[in-house]
Amino acid sequence: MMRKLFLLGTGAFWIAVLLVWAGARWLPSVPEQALPPTEKRFTLEEIARHASPEDCWMAIERTVYDLTPYLPEHPSRSGIVDPWCGKEATEAYRSKMKGRPHSPEADHLLTQYRVGALEEP
Amino acid sequence: MHAHRPLAIPLISTTLVGLTVLWVFPENLGFWRSVAIVSGWAGCGLLAASLLLMIREARLAAWLGGLESMYRWHHRLGVSAYLALLVHPLALATAGWSEAPALAWAMLAPWQQGWPVWLGWAALLCLMTGLALALSPAMPYARWRGLHNLLALAIVLALGHLLLLGLDYLLLWSPLLALALILWRFLRADLGLAATPHVVARVDHPSAEVVEVRLQPLAHPLAARPGQFVLAAFLDGPGFRGCGEYHPYTISAVAPDGEIALGIKALGDCTRHLQTVVPGVAVRIEGPFGDFLNERPAGPELWLAGGIGITPFLGVLRSGPLPHPVRLIYLHRNEHDATFRDEIATLAKIQPRLALDIIACGDRLPDLAALLPAAPDLAGHECYLCGPPGLLAAAVRLLRQRSVSPARIHFEHFDFR
Repeated sequence: MMRKLFLLGTGAFWIAVLLVWAGARWLPSVPEQALPPTEKRFTLEEIARHASPEDCWMAIERTVYDLTPYLPEHPSRSGIVDPWCGKEATEAYRSKMKGRPHSPEADHLLTQYRVGALEEP
Repeated sequence: MHAHRPLAIPLISTTLVGLTVLWVFPENLGFWRSVAIVSGWAGCGLLAASLLLMIREARLAAWLGGLESMYRWHHRLGVSAYLALLVHPLALATAGWSEAPALAWAMLAPWQQGWPVWLGWAALLCLMTGLALALSPAMPYARWRGLHNLLALAIVLALGHLLLLGLDYLLLWSPLLALALILWRFLRADLGLAATPHVVARVDHPSAEVVEVRLQPLAHPLAARPGQFVLAAFLDGPGFRGCGEYHPYTISAVAPDGEIALGIKALGDCTRHLQTVVPGVAVRIEGPFGDFLNERPAGPELWLAGGIGITPFLGVLRSGPLPHPVRLIYLHRNEHDATFRDEIATLAKIQPRLALDIIACGDRLPDLAALLPAAPDLAGHECYLCGPPGLLAAAVRLLRQRSVSPARIHFEHFDFR
């Protein structure tokens, strides 16, 4: 009985993985949303006013994100991410886990929270 | 047997899984991301429960209904944990699928991820391989045991996965508990810290492929009763090199001074080698375990023994007068295989409540329909069975057909893989 369950579960798992791979390869992706032509620009001082977990903005690679709704979903403990609220966090974002950048999935996720661009100094 | 605590293991398992999942239950997250989190942590809780049932402590085993029941649940919970953990990455991918299939694949493809996900994948693959091997009945025991360690490695890798994700340390209690239980098992059972030292005091050869060893305790004697079993590892002695593996053996006699006797049949490499064991060999004993033939209700009994399965019954017959009428049917293959036959025949003469049938049935399964009593003669009987799996299965089937309720049919499988 346990052996049958194991074999069924394992078979179903690999079929599902294969389906995801096939979907990524052959199904069309939703095109990235075009950026608004007149994007709002923020200074670092403005970003610094959103420096708490309840109102958390960050500048990453000259783009400004409102990450407030995402913070509860972030897998790391709050002590790791919260201190970067209200700051320029490019280096922290790039150097997750001993110098490793975030995954393409994280990059994609980030675009949902974009609120504008960082004002040129 | 053990009808008094049938819910102990399910309740402990539900508590461990429930506490783990409640601790981390997500709020305000998407459905599939929540499923991913719950399935991952449910898997951790199930693994911890499964590992709790792997530690071999005599008191815990007695409380939880015996080692056989614990090992059965160990398998069930282990496979359930594996299935829950398979859902974890798939649910994460499904959460990404609504945005883009490429995003779903990015969740699964290790080359698009970092160390946390690599360790997660390594843990899952270790679990997959370890379980595939653990559920292989044909694999030789020593290799099976060695490869079983892959499952322990899976727990270590899973803990690494969670640590690198930056999870709060308090959240890690269930994988840490799982790791602690593995360490407990390794130190207490595998390294033998829970075992008591004995020495082989006497060796008898009651038949061609069976040896009966009498073991003298070197520390405190075991509180053992005939019909129970111990896990024994035979070490080295004068001119003998033991295999050092713990295997289950039934106690065939308990002396007032704490000496116990074990009947050992040559069934594998280790037990075949034990046929040449000599007095003076050191032995480490864990247990005793099981309550086969203990706390028997008043009333007539049927005992069915096949081959070396006679050992627990012999232990009871040697221990004193039977309190209830017993019919013992002892099946063996041939003259060379009839272990303890003469002694049992002698015991039958001084046990007035014992009716004895010793039957040679060759290499084929005997005609149990003719050998076992008819349905009216089984009324009110407690039936105790000990023998090879094929004989047990056939006897249980026949007894059920003859209206014996499952609660009155008692047997142990001795399958501890």
